[in-house]
Amino acid sequence: MMIKRCVAVLLCLAALPALAKDTLNLYNWNNYIAPETVKRFEEQCKCEVKQTYYSDNEELLAKLAAGAKGYDILVPTSNAMQSLIKGGQLKPIDKSKLSNLKNINTLYMNTEFDPGNKFSVPYAMSTTILGYNAEKMKELGLPTDTWAVIFDPKYLEKVKRRVTVLDSSNELFAAALKYLGYSANDTDEKHWKEAADLIKRAKPYWAAFNASSYIKELTVGNIWLVHGYSNDIFQANLDAQAAGRKFSILQGMPKEGAVLAVDNMVIHKDAPRPDLALLFMNFMLEGKNSAELTNLIGSGNPNTDAIKYIKPELLKNPAIFPDAAVQAKLEQLKDLTSAQRKLRGKMWTEIKASR
Amino acid sequence: MRSFPARSRWLWAAAGAGYAFLYLPLVIVVVYSFNDSRLNAEWVGFTLDWYRKLAHNDEMQTAAANSLIIASVASLVSTVLGTMAGVAMYRYKTRLLPLLVLTPIAIPEILMGVSLLIFFVLLNFSLGLVSVALAHIAFCIGFVAIVVRARLSGMDETLTEAARDCGASPWQTFRYITLPLIMPGVIAGALMAFTLSIDDFVITFFTAGAGTITLPLQIYSMIKIAVTPEVNAVSTLLMLLTLILIVVATRVSPSLLRSNEENE
Repeated sequence: MMIKRCVAVLLCLAALPALAKDTLNLYNWNNYIAPETVKRFEEQCKCEVKQTYYSDNEELLAKLAAGAKGYDILVPTSNAMQSLIKGGQLKPIDKSKLSNLKNINTLYMNTEFDPGNKFSVPYAMSTTILGYNAEKMKELGLPTDTWAVIFDPKYLEKVKRRVTVLDSSNELFAAALKYLGYSANDTDEKHWKEAADLIKRAKPYWAAFNASSYIKELTVGNIWLVHGYSNDIFQANLDAQAAGRKFSILQGMPKEGAVLAVDNMVIHKDAPRPDLALLFMNFMLEGKNSAELTNLIGSGNPNTDAIKYIKPELLKNPAIFPDAAVQAKLEQLKDLTSAQRKLRGKMWTEIKASR
Repeated sequence: MRSFPARSRWLWAAAGAGYAFLYLPLVIVVVYSFNDSRLNAEWVGFTLDWYRKLAHNDEMQTAAANSLIIASVASLVSTVLGTMAGVAMYRYKTRLLPLLVLTPIAIPEILMGVSLLIFFVLLNFSLGLVSVALAHIAFCIGFVAIVVRARLSGMDETLTEAARDCGASPWQTFRYITLPLIMPGVIAGALMAFTLSIDDFVITFFTAGAGTITLPLQIYSMIKIAVTPEVNAVSTLLMLLTLILIVVATRVSPSLLRSNEENE
């Protein structure tokens, strides 16, 4: 009797999410949509937006690959999105419902990651660039517009143990390849070898491989120069100003070019509410809504209609809105084949182990 | 005994260092929850701002509430089932039973997380609080069972025999003799299950569905954009709650924190 009742209660509880109506489930990066934007959408669609977060594309891929469902909208980076498309995880979008799609800069449409935008709409972007303590770099007379400053011992001498680079083989190799004048997606083994040697030579001068706490290290003043994500460096400066630091943290776009990461809105194949998902996509394609995210976290914006709503000081920032010359040198990272990944992994291990 | 003072000093120092290692990080978390700076870097000034912000942060509150609900349910159910398993393991000394009960402890968490997710998907069971609670129960049972069995093996078996001689039914023997004797083990198991459940990340990550956030999931997703002292504030509150739980548990069963008192 007892057991029967327990089972009944359990089943009811399990069925609850199905009963709750008009909810859009958004599987997103943390802090990747302005709270006021969410509120406005909820009012407009008379529904509730429930957000769940991931902190890495791999987390998202792993979870969906195991069969998790219930998510309507996902916001993966281009190469992860490509794997999702290949895995048949996404639902094609009905573009007739997206009247605001015209707002997106054609530069970001119809990329090789999703030809014809059958599944995706660009959401926001970031670049992997230099971040630096403006006062210190000026004092030391170091350039801030070239990868040389984190790879060339001539410059590194002056900032020894005050530099961190991302703990990501893909990002660091891309920066090294760019510095050497190759494409970030170059797959020539010889070029990789050159990049690895470059990294090994610079490594003794670096303080650490750091992908998580470098924002704080910059803000506190322990670290003066980083290889990091543009959004993070933007956040570091906000934090430094809020904490009343006497220096500012600036973004430096290397003239050799950098990695561009575009995050895209897509609909999961098992989305419970594809209708709401399309409404949300169209809503986020409105300039004002898209601009709110850029104003909040300093992300790059592919929306031409958003420009007029973005704070002027952000528009002037070449790391967030690069000019055409730099723009042409930005590259999105492609997925490696498994053989390439193996080689890259081996090189990375050697780099980590080298002294 | 000749070198008692020297050794004792050494022992005290070692104990002090051990406790410092255990508790200093917790003290730092609490101290910085009152710090007037977004960075957990240096002391700026005293403030209650983070607690105020926490009071308005629905997301963090929902996450904390979910964690508490899941931990309470998981510890309650796994304590009942785990105690039963512990008693059974003690009474029927088969080889298979411990294997069945204890395997979930030995299995790597990530494997258990993935396999549970696949299992839930296969059953078409919607992922949410219930699936997370079920998963937590599954891995907590083993821990409770171990503690209870350990407690039982320290018990004087003549007591249950005496009870049976005096005409007590098996249930009465369990209820009035065995259970009170193993109560410290049961409560210790329950507390352990509660802690394991509230801070579990890996298994929760896989079994939580759309819209289900728990505190560890929430904090983890914030790591990329720098953890704010709101996390310190919510952690401080949780520590306070745990502390209260332990105090209550020791009141209910005073012998909980002393081992094998009744054997003496």
